[in-house]
Amino acid sequence: MQSWRRKSLWLALLASWILVLLGLFPLLRLAVPTSPRAGAPRGWPRWLDAELLQSFAKPGELLEDGPRPPQALRGGSCNWGACFDTSKCRGGGLKVFVYPAAGPVSETRRRILASVEGSRYHTLSAAEACLLLLLSPDTSTGECDPVPPQWDGGRNHLVLSLHPAPCPRTFQLGQAMVAEASPTVDTFRPGFDVALPLLPEAHPLRGGAPGQLRQHSPRPGVALLALAEDGGRWHVAGTDFSACPWDGRCEQDRGPKQTHPGATLPNATFCLIPGRSPDVLHFLQALQAGCIPVLLSPRWELPFSEVIDWTKAAIVADERLPLQVLTALQEMPLTRVLALRQQTQFLWDAYFSSVEKVVHTTLEIIQDRIFGPSAHPSLLWNRPPGAILALPTFSPSPSDFPFYHLQQGSRPLGRFSALIWGGAPGQPPLKLIQAVAGSQHCAQILVLWSSEKPPPTRWPKTAVPLTVIDGHRKVSDRFFPYSAISTDAILSLDAHSSLSTSEVDFAFVVWQSFPERMVGFLTWSHFWDEARGGWGYTAKRTNEFSMVLTSAAFYHRYYHTLFTHSLPKALRTLADEAPTCVDVLMNFLVASVTKLPPIKVPYGMWHQEARPPPLEPGGPGLRQEPQPAAQNCINQMAAGFGHMPLVSSRLRLDPVLFKDPVSVLRKKYRSLEKP
Amino acid sequence: MCASVKYNIRGPALIPRMKTKHRIYYITLFSIVLLGLIATGMFQFWPHSIESSSDWSVQKRSIRDVPVVRLPADSPVPERGDLSCRMHTCFDVYRCGFNPKNKIKVYIYSLKKYVDDAGVPVSSTISQEYNELLTAVADSDYYTEDIARACLFIPSIDLLNQNALRVKETAQALAQLSRWDRGTNHLLFNMLPGGPPDYNTALDVPRDRALLAGGGFSTWTYRQGYDVSIPVYSPLSAEVDLPEKGPGPRRYFLLSSQMALHPEYREELAALQARHGEAALVLDKCTNLSEGIPAARKRCHKHQVFDYPQVLQEATFCVVLRGARLGQAVLSDVLRAGCIPVIIADSYILPFSEVLDWKRASVAVPEEKMSDVYSILQSIPQRQIEEMQRQARWFWEAYFQSIKAIALATLQIINDRIYPYAAISYEDWNDPPSVKWGSVSNPLFLPLIPPQSQGFTAIVLTYDRVESLFRVITEVSKVPSLSKLLVVWNNQNKNPPEDSLWPKIRVPLKVVRTAENKLSNRFFPYDEIETEAVLAIDDDIIMLTSDELQFGYEVWREFPDRLVGYPGRLHLWDHEMSKWKYESEWTNEVSMVLTGAAFYHKYFNYLYTYKMPGDIKNWVDAHMNCEDIAMNFLVANVTGKAVIKVTPRKKFKCPECTAIDGLSLDQTHMVERSECINKFASVFGTMPLKVVEHRADPVLYKDDFPEKLKSFPNIGSL
Repeated sequence: MQSWRRKSLWLALLASWILVLLGLFPLLRLAVPTSPRAGAPRGWPRWLDAELLQSFAKPGELLEDGPRPPQALRGGSCNWGACFDTSKCRGGGLKVFVYPAAGPVSETRRRILASVEGSRYHTLSAAEACLLLLLSPDTSTGECDPVPPQWDGGRNHLVLSLHPAPCPRTFQLGQAMVAEASPTVDTFRPGFDVALPLLPEAHPLRGGAPGQLRQHSPRPGVALLALAEDGGRWHVAGTDFSACPWDGRCEQDRGPKQTHPGATLPNATFCLIPGRSPDVLHFLQALQAGCIPVLLSPRWELPFSEVIDWTKAAIVADERLPLQVLTALQEMPLTRVLALRQQTQFLWDAYFSSVEKVVHTTLEIIQDRIFGPSAHPSLLWNRPPGAILALPTFSPSPSDFPFYHLQQGSRPLGRFSALIWGGAPGQPPLKLIQAVAGSQHCAQILVLWSSEKPPPTRWPKTAVPLTVIDGHRKVSDRFFPYSAISTDAILSLDAHSSLSTSEVDFAFVVWQSFPERMVGFLTWSHFWDEARGGWGYTAKRTNEFSMVLTSAAFYHRYYHTLFTHSLPKALRTLADEAPTCVDVLMNFLVASVTKLPPIKVPYGMWHQEARPPPLEPGGPGLRQEPQPAAQNCINQMAAGFGHMPLVSSRLRLDPVLFKDPVSVLRKKYRSLEKP
Repeated sequence: MCASVKYNIRGPALIPRMKTKHRIYYITLFSIVLLGLIATGMFQFWPHSIESSSDWSVQKRSIRDVPVVRLPADSPVPERGDLSCRMHTCFDVYRCGFNPKNKIKVYIYSLKKYVDDAGVPVSSTISQEYNELLTAVADSDYYTEDIARACLFIPSIDLLNQNALRVKETAQALAQLSRWDRGTNHLLFNMLPGGPPDYNTALDVPRDRALLAGGGFSTWTYRQGYDVSIPVYSPLSAEVDLPEKGPGPRRYFLLSSQMALHPEYREELAALQARHGEAALVLDKCTNLSEGIPAARKRCHKHQVFDYPQVLQEATFCVVLRGARLGQAVLSDVLRAGCIPVIIADSYILPFSEVLDWKRASVAVPEEKMSDVYSILQSIPQRQIEEMQRQARWFWEAYFQSIKAIALATLQIINDRIYPYAAISYEDWNDPPSVKWGSVSNPLFLPLIPPQSQGFTAIVLTYDRVESLFRVITEVSKVPSLSKLLVVWNNQNKNPPEDSLWPKIRVPLKVVRTAENKLSNRFFPYDEIETEAVLAIDDDIIMLTSDELQFGYEVWREFPDRLVGYPGRLHLWDHEMSKWKYESEWTNEVSMVLTGAAFYHKYFNYLYTYKMPGDIKNWVDAHMNCEDIAMNFLVANVTGKAVIKVTPRKKFKCPECTAIDGLSLDQTHMVERSECINKFASVFGTMPLKVVEHRADPVLYKDDFPEKLKSFPNIGSL
């Protein structure tokens, strides 16, 4: 009894407490929200009569806003549509005429002239030209040119000055475009003027110094910041920094300055560049060094801003928020830092490292404006290898190029065209044709006949179509972009090449993994010859190689377009004169685009023993061992490119089970292993 | 709750001593309390609470009730807009301050009705679109109620259409806003600027330093990097239900649908149509429509009547000509129809041109070249046309579709200027989702062969096999390019051997002790790793020769963005089971290399530790398996590239082992590994691994060439 009572009492107690708590919650809920919210609207009110609101424009107002005559040109202000006459460029695309210099020319000016004259757009006739280039005089001559003869109010003129206007212009610019180094944002006319980088006096004409970046990620322990100082120097701040680097109060606040007076290139992850214009020289230095430029409220237009997406390579920050910028730089994700660093190097190398590149980029921008819809897409400007090496005339679609498959999520086409260069009398290369046609990946065989003698009338029957093209009897013909080539991949062959179907199959499968490179069987390697003080190359078998012979190699058909349309004529003539040179030239071209070595795949030794002796010199034939005279060619090429683009490789790609002591039945490419 | 428990515990000691009358007293007391509580509860939930709860959510008021503000005739008028304004001169960034989320804070002034001295309203209070716009801003992450914390201010004065307001009085209304301060950090939205007769291309209301988000800027009025060019919203878009039409050839090549065109332009268009017949269609206003049909929704060509905007879907290219204003609402309709706009308006700043790449979605033709428009368009290949159609439609969906889309894009652009280091990339703005999905952007895209002198860091993961570990260390230390050796001691119950017992090697040797025995410890980005190249090696891989390792490093230098390893594996699709299968047989193909012996870039350690998608990292640690497969997935997914298997070597552990190498050979192991592949493929949402048929050997491997002249003679054959 007692226990029952006690229990009931406790139950009642418990129940009441639970109720107290339950009752308290709503009370608390009521107490909290009411007081601060009273009367204050939260968010934008939902109007009760929102449905009744009128539209901002009356129904007809958007459609008929009162017609107005086409606008007359406003004095002083120009834009591309109004001030440039593209009809002059209709025939041959962009043709550029340069006014000859009157009197002595400075070194920089001479380099610009040489770059324009070396470009594929140059013309000697002012009447034919659609762009007339006027070089603005520079400080060293001091005199200002008179109004040039074909001035015509400046129409279709580009006034180019690599230094910010040193001489007050004696004539009105009229409708002329201005390509100026680091123009101020206030005078720059986007889409009409071109912003150039401010180049140092000693900027090389072509080639140029490579970027300084040697590795993708910043070295551990490298300084986070370098600050641009007057006189082209850099102040490298340690990892423990404060806002002081750029408000000039460092000297008092901090210990000894960590300056490297001798070093002109900064060694840091980020380079702070104040927005005042004298500091623009620092900008290029930072790019070259792979130091991410952090521009503090720049008052000048970034170079080639019309086409280059600078957000991928630099950071434009507000100079008024030092702490915030520093914190953001410190906390920037590694992925972004890596991407920015690499982009600085790509841009430096593609557009800024030489006077020639700067001038060609300028012309390329103007050509893009003329091309309108068929101009370079932004991707081509902002991804390696860059717009100068990616010709928009090849294709409007990036996935047709060998470089952008990753970004486009595409793959190269799964077939290849064999291009056999022939011209020797006698029987057609029957064995070779059969071996190539036997490949399941072969789409067509093209025979490029370059001989005075007519081609044989009878060709072997093959499973794939065989076409004979009549060449122009020049060595460089073999790299002409024939319209008959219907696939992405080309297997370039000589009539005397010897290959087996397995070799062709395997090499093609490898090429599909590396569509931007050359995949070949026979290799050469280049070396620096101390004794002769120049480059040399050899066909001897060594532990490394840097070139593959085009007498048997896979590569992308885009390289035919590039070879024919972008190489300077002088280099192609050189190759025509010394036939072994054409291989060197093609390898130079591909290497300067990819910055990577070619790829070697296994080649049966028995082929070499069964080779016929070389035939008539100059014609298609064996080009196995470079003749001594041809050794000079590599040096001429290196001079023409301005640097040595070839890169060596120490590996060969073999089938996964190549020459393994396992059953041959397991192996896919069995016949590659003949002794 | 806590209190009641305590009471209960103390209870039993108290009760037995209680007397009976006390007990009744207590019971009564509790009953009273109980009743009181019930009463309170009922009061809480009684109908009056509905009224009070409405106060908590969004305010519901009528626009007619907004407060009226009388503007004296002589109240100040702001200066005219300053054309030289830039973010670093006219914008006060200090208000934005540091912000961990890198988001600006936007304040909206409350709605007021402005009248002049005579009581005549200055403008219509607010339009439907502006109300929508402010609602969108208020609902976004940018919004703040706290005026003191705001970085950007949006007046609630509706300026969308200049024709609907009185210029001077509106300016006075702006000037009296509480934080106006010469318009600093104020954002004004305007879609229809200017008015007859000269139609200025920017809002005529004096606005001093305020930013203008305007439709129809020209190069002369647009302040690059300060103003934002926005579209002219087409209310028609909201009214009409227009199903999407994919890209492809369409009935008309070129279409002009605008009604009010200057006679000169119309002549040009008529000439175009005359030349190209059926392919070009020039529409005009309908003259003889019967009553009740909205003229805005019909277009005519001679006597043929077309539905608008449906007719736009029948054309590949649609002309967007300038009218009195540069910005035309038809642009929005054209994009929506997937028709490529042909912009004929010199000096027009296209909407959001600061971030959108209009070359991908439109064709700009100078006014002077209007007669050539047809031939210009004909030179565009079909593939590019389809690409542009897709792009046009995507621009509409992302940035034109609604007032909300326009408002948020505008704020994003301003936000990106203020926090440039967190800005959205070109690809994020411009690539349609389908492209974003398929594309890979390799984080190590720069073609670069790192210098050999840098060397590599070997990381050995070990538990307690000290003898084998020491053998591996001795072997690896013979590799010329080794620069440091890191032993990850994964055994918490046992101390690593004393310093004196370790093999003496020529490079620094560091032992890292881990807090937990996890497989992912091997991929941690230790500060001790100073080189870019990392060699991950198990403590029982004793067969690799110094030549093989040195050659592997050379191969990595040529492929620094890939996994370069020795044990090759393959994944296969099992058609019977409809799932992936792990394969360790010696096949002709390779899609993975095991990290029991592999070189890779140290950046992938960072990715593995901090950016591994889904729960893969925990899953691997929980199952104590498949960390190597996870690494293969990760690298293949970010780079889009295949692995490189180096040298023929297939056996790694001990000479006596005859069978295939691996952790264990039993069936369960293979099943587990297959499970891993299926699990990871589902987390990644795709199968990133790439199959290749090649491996890397030294140039002269197995060639008929004197062995002593080869750089890497000692390459094992199995």
